[in-house]
Amino acid sequence: MKYQPQGLIAEVTHRCPLHCVYCSNPLEMQRRSEEISTEDWSSIFRQAGEMGVLQLSLTGGEPLARTDVTELVHAGRSANLYVNLITSGVGLDAARLNALIDAGLDHIQLSFQDAEEGPANEFAGTRAHALKLRVASMIRERRIAFTVNIVVHRRNLARLDEMITFAEQSGAQRLEIANVQYYGWAFRNREALLPTREQLDRSIAIVEAARERVKGRLRIDFVHPDYYAKYPKPCMNGWGHQQMLIDPAGRVLPCHAAPVVPGLEFFRAPGHSLRWIWEDSPAFNRFRDETWMPEPCRSCERRGRDFGGCRCQAFLLTGDAAATDPVCTFAPAHKVVEETLVRINSNGEVPKGQNWVYRIDPH
Amino acid sequence: MSEAVKDRVPRLAPGCRLGSAEGQEDLLLIPEGALRLKGPARAIVELCDGERALPQIVEELTRRYPSDDGTRIETEVIALLGRLRDRGVLEFV
Repeated sequence: MKYQPQGLIAEVTHRCPLHCVYCSNPLEMQRRSEEISTEDWSSIFRQAGEMGVLQLSLTGGEPLARTDVTELVHAGRSANLYVNLITSGVGLDAARLNALIDAGLDHIQLSFQDAEEGPANEFAGTRAHALKLRVASMIRERRIAFTVNIVVHRRNLARLDEMITFAEQSGAQRLEIANVQYYGWAFRNREALLPTREQLDRSIAIVEAARERVKGRLRIDFVHPDYYAKYPKPCMNGWGHQQMLIDPAGRVLPCHAAPVVPGLEFFRAPGHSLRWIWEDSPAFNRFRDETWMPEPCRSCERRGRDFGGCRCQAFLLTGDAAATDPVCTFAPAHKVVEETLVRINSNGEVPKGQNWVYRIDPH
Repeated sequence: MSEAVKDRVPRLAPGCRLGSAEGQEDLLLIPEGALRLKGPARAIVELCDGERALPQIVEELTRRYPSDDGTRIETEVIALLGRLRDRGVLEFV
């Protein structure tokens, strides 16, 4: 295989008890009745293992909203995959956690919305923070890899120091601080979430200092807000290069946002073989090599590193998925990003009040 | 690696395990990734079982590879374990 898949992100459900304003799930979500079965997922995991995929990430929505997550973990391990669970923690008690670990779960990523309960519950649109703290202490007592994930944005970056201290005390080995990426609900709420340049500069300094301080105890990964970057992110490390994402209905996608791109047909794994979809389906090949690239990407020396950036972001910001990612300072459409940043940075005070919409829960 | 560490017992950190399936033989699977173990690294990591301390690991490797210089083996083992510890995939108990 020219492109060897490394990771499979399984969005096993879009149902979620949280309503986070920065959720990257699509605005049009799938209902429970459209979700594929335990057997379908098991077959997908077996095929992925045979193709040489190493990492399986069970996510959603809230994966624990499905009653068969333990079976899915077991199916993943049986297929020789390394199994990560990305969860809000809602729906996890000691018995269920033990069952997941017994089934072979390798790594838990537990999300927090803030270090402080009030804002955390506000961003999640529900009172989940106290419960999450109890889940963290349950995980800490067990021998399993534990990451704390915190999504950061304009309304919580002021407490970044507190969040890092919080993660240090949580018992996690790793902290992922991810700036919001603007897709789905997050794109809808972008004006309320994009940080200011001052906030970003301050946060980078805080993370660098913290990395020194917690060295050997806590690994800190920091995901930048690409709107402020000089060059685009190498989204998914290239379209159809290493990663695939399967949505609750079994549609196989190059990334979670790909359905926004018009004109692409995405096939369902229960109906088609995973290998065919990965290697031969037109959608996976649409932006895979460099033939789609416009200038300045086509002759850019960085094209093999960032692959022209994100196709979905190009579509969301320009209406053309085959345009250079507008966050790139060389992009013909870069001014749409610049104008957004000027607007955000000239607003002065961080806006108070809820000028955003909460993610809904599909039934 | 400090002298103190020499007497302690290394083992893989939670969530880190050696690949066992076909094609995964030289991989150390870790949260969200995999490290490729080159040369004798897999054999060394296999011996980090939470039972053996460094001297026993070196002793075992010297027994398996009698033609190699024992001091060189020890140096290599210490260097590898140090790197893996810094990467967060190995812990000392």
